[in-house]
Amino acid sequence: MIAPVFILCTIFHYIPLPGIALAFADFRISGFKEWVGFKNFQYIFNLNFFWDAFRNNWVFILLRYIFIFPSPVIFAILLNEIRSKIFKKAIQTISTLPHFISWVVIAGIFISILSPKTGYVNYAIQALGGKPIYFLSKPKLFPFLFTLMSIWKEVGYSAIIYLAALSGIDPELYEAAIIDGANRWKQTLYITLPGIKGTILVMFILSFAGIMGGLFEPIFVLKNPMIEETAEVLDTYIYDIGLVKAKYSLATAVGLFKSVISLVFVMAANVFSKLLTEDKKSIF
Amino acid sequence: MLKRSRGEKIFNVFNVTFFTIFAMMLLVPVLYVLKQSLDIERIGELSLSLFPRKFSLVFYQMIINDRAIYRTFLNSAYITVVGTALSVFLNAMGAYALARRDLPGNRFFIYYLVILPMLFSGGLIPTYLVVKSLGLIDKLAALIIPALVSGWNMALIRNYYWSIPPSLSESARIDGAEEFTVFFRIILPLSKPVIAAIALFTGVGFWNTFFSAVIYINSPQKYTFPVKLRELILVQYDMQRQFTEALQLRQMQGSGDDLLLASLTQEGLSGAIIVVSMLPIIIVYPYLQKYFTKGIMVGSLKG
Repeated sequence: MIAPVFILCTIFHYIPLPGIALAFADFRISGFKEWVGFKNFQYIFNLNFFWDAFRNNWVFILLRYIFIFPSPVIFAILLNEIRSKIFKKAIQTISTLPHFISWVVIAGIFISILSPKTGYVNYAIQALGGKPIYFLSKPKLFPFLFTLMSIWKEVGYSAIIYLAALSGIDPELYEAAIIDGANRWKQTLYITLPGIKGTILVMFILSFAGIMGGLFEPIFVLKNPMIEETAEVLDTYIYDIGLVKAKYSLATAVGLFKSVISLVFVMAANVFSKLLTEDKKSIF
Repeated sequence: MLKRSRGEKIFNVFNVTFFTIFAMMLLVPVLYVLKQSLDIERIGELSLSLFPRKFSLVFYQMIINDRAIYRTFLNSAYITVVGTALSVFLNAMGAYALARRDLPGNRFFIYYLVILPMLFSGGLIPTYLVVKSLGLIDKLAALIIPALVSGWNMALIRNYYWSIPPSLSESARIDGAEEFTVFFRIILPLSKPVIAAIALFTGVGFWNTFFSAVIYINSPQKYTFPVKLRELILVQYDMQRQFTEALQLRQMQGSGDDLLLASLTQEGLSGAIIVVSMLPIIIVYPYLQKYFTKGIMVGSLKG
């Protein structure tokens, strides 16, 4: 009964693995030419485009940890303070939905509302007497805009796990704190946050596993030539040199470089997990 | 109940206001796109209203009448139905074997199917070359077959199987039932909730198929709906760029209005496609919502 999944997994997961060797070969559409050792790596490490994509990639990751990662924690804590059950439920319903909508559609929505002449945002700016801004043509703005869109799309869904953790905190702790005269802020600081500390840590460690990924689709659909200098990331770069320009070996080399970095992070996550969790859990 | 202090009252007002604004930030963009798709009054005064000025379904008719567009819708529908059915069935069956800790090689299969695929992958080009050598390029099957196995889903289903009392399948085996019979007659019918949940998530995934379609599909008649949308977005981008350039060059007389009209028409059509692609997800959303808290929470891979 395991045979079908075993065969499929072997074909699409394990058979491609030796293909990584292409990173050390000269392989084109016409076929295999010769082994070249580390020449492909030397070549890409001398390309400015590669380092641009590499740097941009880290800008997006950095912004992810500064803004996107904490956003559902704050969202969940604030939402937990809402007293009205109906309001809470409504906010949760609305904010979780975008997670299931594909990035293409989300990009379509944002390109529409940010359009320089016909977009809602620019209507508002013009109504207030300002000049229209073509938001998606500004390279410096793009990483932040992208971060905002990611929060817009994912904050509600990511908050679910924190909301679940919050509902697990013993209400007696709050009652005791109120009797001791702690206000809401103090309660948040000394009961709520320590109560979900474990969940935050687990999510933080797990996030390392996909640190280099998750950018292809959103960037690919939002990218345009005007913002390429800050929007190109490793994944879109691999697609570009590999499938558009058909330089298979170079693209595989960039992919391997990316995988090695990811793997280092996964290993680091595992070490952290063992060090920091009480029962010395490994994440595998 | 204790009396609330002034600070708390202020906080409550702030908090409710914050979430109201947040909800509006989520809703307004979607409602605006909906309005764009239903409005044919194209040029006129700036309007922040979210109601169409001249209601029309013309952009939706364009989708229905344009074979190039509705074909892509049917392609997405096809891979969603076939892909979900196959994927759920195969993963549920695989999970049954994974759940049997008494079988030899159980640990091996868990590493082989669930854990290692999460850690290593051949990457874009090697996977592409395998799909190519199987002759799947430019076939809808390329969007289904490589995406069928999901170690994560198998792990979730397996965890659910563990909650079924083992005595049920044991007694069936004593009565001489084969493993297939135990799976189809006992385990599967008892696992409806987890199967439904996994089917919904898998279905949403197939409906949103974009990346693999960009990679494996070349002919426009085999595009998925999101890829078609992306094509229209690119046209829209191009128009926005032209428009901005025209604006900068102050050549807005004459040709400017044409460009604006074209751009708005494009936006109406994209809007309609956006609405149509969101519709199936909004329809299944209440059911998804019922499951996703559980789906996230039972994510333990230990075993």
